[in-house]
Amino acid sequence: MPETSTVLRIRPLDELDISAIVRIDEKISGIYRPEVWETRIMYYTRRDPGASQVAEIGGRVVGFMLGDLRAGEFGLEEPSGWIERFGIDPDHRGQDLGRRMFDAIRAHFVAEGAKSVRTLVDTTDGGVAGFLKAIGFMPAPLQALELRL
Amino acid sequence: MKVENVVLEKKYHDAVEHWRRHHFKDYQTLLDSWEKYFPKDEPFCLCAKLELGTPDVIHIGEQKGQPKRVNPDELTEDQAHHLLAIIKAQASTEFGSIQQHAGTVDRAHDDQDRAWVLRVMAEELRHGYQMLHLLLSKDWSHVSGGVTGPEMVEEILSMTTGNHVLDAFNLDYDSFMDNITFAAFIDRVGKYQLTMQKVCAYKPMADSMPPMLREEAFHLAAGVIPLRRFAERAAKGDPLAHLELVQHSINKWFARGLEMFGDERGGQKNISFGFKDLTNREAVNQYIEEVRKMIRDINTRFVRGRFPGYTPDKVESAIDELERTRGSHQGLAYEDLLYLPDPRFFRRKGEVAFQMVGVNGEPFTDADSYLSYLARHLNAGYVASRDMRLYAETLRKVVAGELTVE
Repeated sequence: MPETSTVLRIRPLDELDISAIVRIDEKISGIYRPEVWETRIMYYTRRDPGASQVAEIGGRVVGFMLGDLRAGEFGLEEPSGWIERFGIDPDHRGQDLGRRMFDAIRAHFVAEGAKSVRTLVDTTDGGVAGFLKAIGFMPAPLQALELRL
Repeated sequence: MKVENVVLEKKYHDAVEHWRRHHFKDYQTLLDSWEKYFPKDEPFCLCAKLELGTPDVIHIGEQKGQPKRVNPDELTEDQAHHLLAIIKAQASTEFGSIQQHAGTVDRAHDDQDRAWVLRVMAEELRHGYQMLHLLLSKDWSHVSGGVTGPEMVEEILSMTTGNHVLDAFNLDYDSFMDNITFAAFIDRVGKYQLTMQKVCAYKPMADSMPPMLREEAFHLAAGVIPLRRFAERAAKGDPLAHLELVQHSINKWFARGLEMFGDERGGQKNISFGFKDLTNREAVNQYIEEVRKMIRDINTRFVRGRFPGYTPDKVESAIDELERTRGSHQGLAYEDLLYLPDPRFFRRKGEVAFQMVGVNGEPFTDADSYLSYLARHLNAGYVASRDMRLYAETLRKVVAGELTVE
């Protein structure tokens, strides 16, 4: 029998994961912002329940990946999975949790008929950009643009 | 996943529309403000939704491995009779909850909370519509005791708060706190029932579950998130927000939620028939653990609100300490937190029906003492209700030996 404290489980996000995600975000960003996460988790719970994933170790949520299936935005009529946010508790990095959560969210998108998965990345954030590259993301012809105001 | 949308025959569809004009007056308001509160979400569809591509083989029970049944007359008579009762009860709950929500939805703390509950109501309407589809799309006459499909629809649509099938749907809401506590506690029972019924040996029932479950996920969040935000207000000293208001609402609904699973000793028939994959006790135990986690989550928000400088770990250890000692921490008392009542508290059905047990498991022997205790642990509006009067009358008879609990 594996020790309970090390059992890994990837499962869909639910509304009782808010405190855990707030906690992980605070460990990463240093900012306590429950309202932000309540709003985001309500959004994903409403839009595409079953898509977003969390990683639990020993029953404790230590990572999350939020996304949903969309079509018709930016002229992209083909259904695409979009990954918006993800985070892993700094104490649990290096355990392949990001890839495991990505495999689960990708399987969900495929089941819903998506032909691609999309995200945006700050290329100056080497950690995130490196992770996305490692799981197979490549630069797309569609480019993010901005106009500073 | 692919979903087929089905609309009822016009006269039945019109009957549901007629019902909602009477019982869900803000329906059009919701549709008009949909883009504001739910931008880019699919527009609401008053229709039955059937998941395509679900398993064709019975998952559990005496017919495990056989093809799922697609017509009622392919079920045994016992199975069909039992399933018909489940579908009618489920339909009753869906329409019943709209009647309950409608009474207090306008007292929501803000427009967003109100919009969320209105969407919950609309989706419950769709779930009721889904059950009517199951009743009307096939012939149940061999087990309906001569009651026709249209008569079954009329029976369901004529139910009002007080004569629905399950007790939880016969209680009026006393404030908007009941709207959100109901969503967090009673819709969670709904989630369990729908999840268990995903395996149902009757395929149209099984195919109905996934779309309903996806909508139920929103209902739970529409309860939990306003409760979390209320806890934050209470922690910050808002004189209009106190966790006792939440606790009294929990005390009202938790027992009714437990009873929705059926008697703790039952449920084997659902498994042998292939309709569900857990016994009542297995399901209720999982539910209790889940609501315990929910209360911990809300308490976490509350304690952090009270002590903004605490780290998450310090908040956790403060709650652990309070639960262990039942004392106080920096002026915050254990009684200031939310707690889950003992599962035997305020029960009227199941193996602990009418045992007089307090929220902490303390026993009572005298009916009036217990009723006084309940009056201190429930909100005033509910204490003064007809339901409480009837409960008190029955309790006194049970205690006096004039009635026996079966």
